[in-house]
Amino acid sequence: MNVLQIAWRSIQHRGLGSLLTIISMALGVMMVVTVLAVHGLISKAFNDSNNFGYDVLVGARGGEIQLAFSSVYYLASPIENIPYEYYLAFCDQETRQRELKSSIAYATWQNEAQTMKLASGLSDGLSDGFFDFAFNSQQSDRLGLEREGLFDHYTHTVVPINLGDFWVSETGDAFRCVGTKPKFFTEMLISIDPEIPFEFSQGRCFEEYNSEHGYYEAVIGETVARKSGLSIGDTIQPTHGDPNAADSHIHETDFHIVGILKKTGTANDGALFLNMEGFFLMEGHAKSLEDDSVFGKAKTQRERREKEAFEQKQPGDDLENSPEIAEEGKQEVANTGAASGDQRSQPLQLEKREVTSILLRTFGGDDEDDVNVVGFILPPIINEGGLESTLNWSPFRPEKSQKAALAVNPVMTVTSLFSKFVDPIRWVLLALTLMICIVSAIGILVGIYNSMNQRRHEIAVIRALGASRQKVMGIMLCESVLMAFIAGMLGWIGGHTLTAALSPLIEDNTNVSVGFFDFAPKIPLAHFWGGRFLPEWLSSIAVSPEFLVVPGMMLLAIIVGIYPAISAYKTDVSKSLGK
Amino acid sequence: MLEIQNIKKSFVQPDGESVPILDIPEFKIAAGEQVVLLGPSGCGKTTLLHIIAGLTKPDSGKVILDDVELTKFSEAIRDRIRADKVGYVFQTFNLLDGFSASENVLLGMTFARKKLDAARANKLLKEVGLGHRLKNKPHQLSVGEKQRVAVARALANEPKLLLADEPTANVDPQNQQHVIDLIRENCRKANIAILMVTHSHEVARQFDRVVDLQDLNLVVKDARSSVETSA
Repeated sequence: MNVLQIAWRSIQHRGLGSLLTIISMALGVMMVVTVLAVHGLISKAFNDSNNFGYDVLVGARGGEIQLAFSSVYYLASPIENIPYEYYLAFCDQETRQRELKSSIAYATWQNEAQTMKLASGLSDGLSDGFFDFAFNSQQSDRLGLEREGLFDHYTHTVVPINLGDFWVSETGDAFRCVGTKPKFFTEMLISIDPEIPFEFSQGRCFEEYNSEHGYYEAVIGETVARKSGLSIGDTIQPTHGDPNAADSHIHETDFHIVGILKKTGTANDGALFLNMEGFFLMEGHAKSLEDDSVFGKAKTQRERREKEAFEQKQPGDDLENSPEIAEEGKQEVANTGAASGDQRSQPLQLEKREVTSILLRTFGGDDEDDVNVVGFILPPIINEGGLESTLNWSPFRPEKSQKAALAVNPVMTVTSLFSKFVDPIRWVLLALTLMICIVSAIGILVGIYNSMNQRRHEIAVIRALGASRQKVMGIMLCESVLMAFIAGMLGWIGGHTLTAALSPLIEDNTNVSVGFFDFAPKIPLAHFWGGRFLPEWLSSIAVSPEFLVVPGMMLLAIIVGIYPAISAYKTDVSKSLGK
Repeated sequence: MLEIQNIKKSFVQPDGESVPILDIPEFKIAAGEQVVLLGPSGCGKTTLLHIIAGLTKPDSGKVILDDVELTKFSEAIRDRIRADKVGYVFQTFNLLDGFSASENVLLGMTFARKKLDAARANKLLKEVGLGHRLKNKPHQLSVGEKQRVAVARALANEPKLLLADEPTANVDPQNQQHVIDLIRENCRKANIAILMVTHSHEVARQFDRVVDLQDLNLVVKDARSSVETSA
């Protein structure tokens, strides 16, 4: 029999005592493993999301963390909305022009031009051309149709998003609805470095306008599809605002699911993406203009004339009369009858639009190897107030709308959040659970020490059979290490079982899915001791901290087992042996 | 096979006074010789066995076991020599409770420089009549059976010398002779010398040689002489 077998027999012989000691240690290890696994995996998921497909986030002025939490992780409530024009400030001239043509201002000025043309009796072609040129120049100058956005030269990709609505499944799970544009999936990436594009496991990306479903198409994340059972062809009705709030209600608008995303490992897995045009058209999503605009307080003759022109129109009329919009096929909606009934067939006018935030991937230069620093230098520039100057183009836009914008680098914000709040909490939790481990390890000491009187006789017998003092000491240490190993393994399995059991709860709160076989992310060994006491080759090795728990417990068992082992070493055989 | 020369041992009492226990000028046992050691309680019989086994170091003198001077070595080497050359049977059996009969016998081989041989352990148990009790733990055995396991364990390392400290004291009268026969017969077969402590003259008569420690130990002898002189 070897030392290990003798130690194991001894543990077996002290059945209940050994079992209680092992259970106590296993519970400690279970807690440590659970904290490490859950925290590590959530941190990793956040850090993975931290490698965003964008490097600047623009939202309403408020807390940076709330902005990042609401727009990146879809967790906190969004602060407020910001004007749609801020999004246009990052667009190129072509996009701006197209978007601006869906404004009340554009439609109104066009009507005014036609009226003026008729009133002045200009009907010959030459005069018509001259008038159009003059009018277009004036209009273009007012609306800035020929200009690119203020920050366009920094922009690689820009996508606006709208938050605030939820969809509640039959099982009561609430998922975030994100109103956005198709380019969220086609141009924006999950991650810039490495470049990971969005992919669909089923279906396709929604279209800005679809002949069958109009503006009402949606794409769902992998988690939503898995947990809710939604599939392509199903329809959903979003809830306006927080579903738990008293004033929330279900929109009477059906969105048709046309695509299911592949798992991204980010918060996007737990979200439903609605076509922004459809999102705007839902009840309560349009900004009210009448009482809250420069136009509402018309003072000059010109402003009064514009007001009269506006009051004679219904919102959709402007667009129907616009030849440019007709060219883009918007008229087709009315002709085909798609999105009929109570669902509106025309997109919302620009002045009534707001967005929750703007996701911006900055342009980092032509050389791919260049480090893109724009994402770090642009936020302060935006915060200095450049955006508000973009609001003076239309007399129809609300005067009191939120104007103050905040631009942040999401990576810096999330990193700062972790270093300031989350990491200290983890260390406190780890310290507490390590204390539990130490207490349970001391349980080994107490357990072995309490049995020392009985053991002294056993030790003396083993010594009489020829065992050296060192061997007896080894048997004692082996016993405590063996118990720590068994407890460590049981605790480790228990920790992962607990983690898997808590997975639905974790996923509900963080959008991070944690399975039984998901281990805490690897950390270089140098991280634990600052690399000072380790050889270079060793400090560069990365290991999951979970895998250090069991060896750590065994080391702890050696430390606490040394006292009884020394006591065994010193046992006086002649006195303890008896006859 | 065993030779003791001028062994002296004394114990220090709590008040610091040193009390001599043993003073044996010479004592020898030949290979395969079966010797009984008699003597009243407290005359140093167990201490002598511990010194011979190397568990206790004498204050002075030599113990030569199988041509090896045990007393000049460190405790670790004495442990090794004991594991290889000495078998020990105790009055209270001293079987380890957590181990089966077979494992208790294997423990007798564990610390010797011999290969662990489970078959031999089982064979020894069969020879002492416990072939049907191999897997039984000590608490499942009778007193007589326990002592038979202890005998098998003492023989497991094929020792040169078997030390037995009142091996029948706790055994019922029906089994006493059986245990003695078992020890003597097995040792005779393997040419193992025996030094057995007993209070039983009936047992003593069966051995090759009977030694009274009172005659051997000068400490006791001198004390007895002084008592007789003063009387």
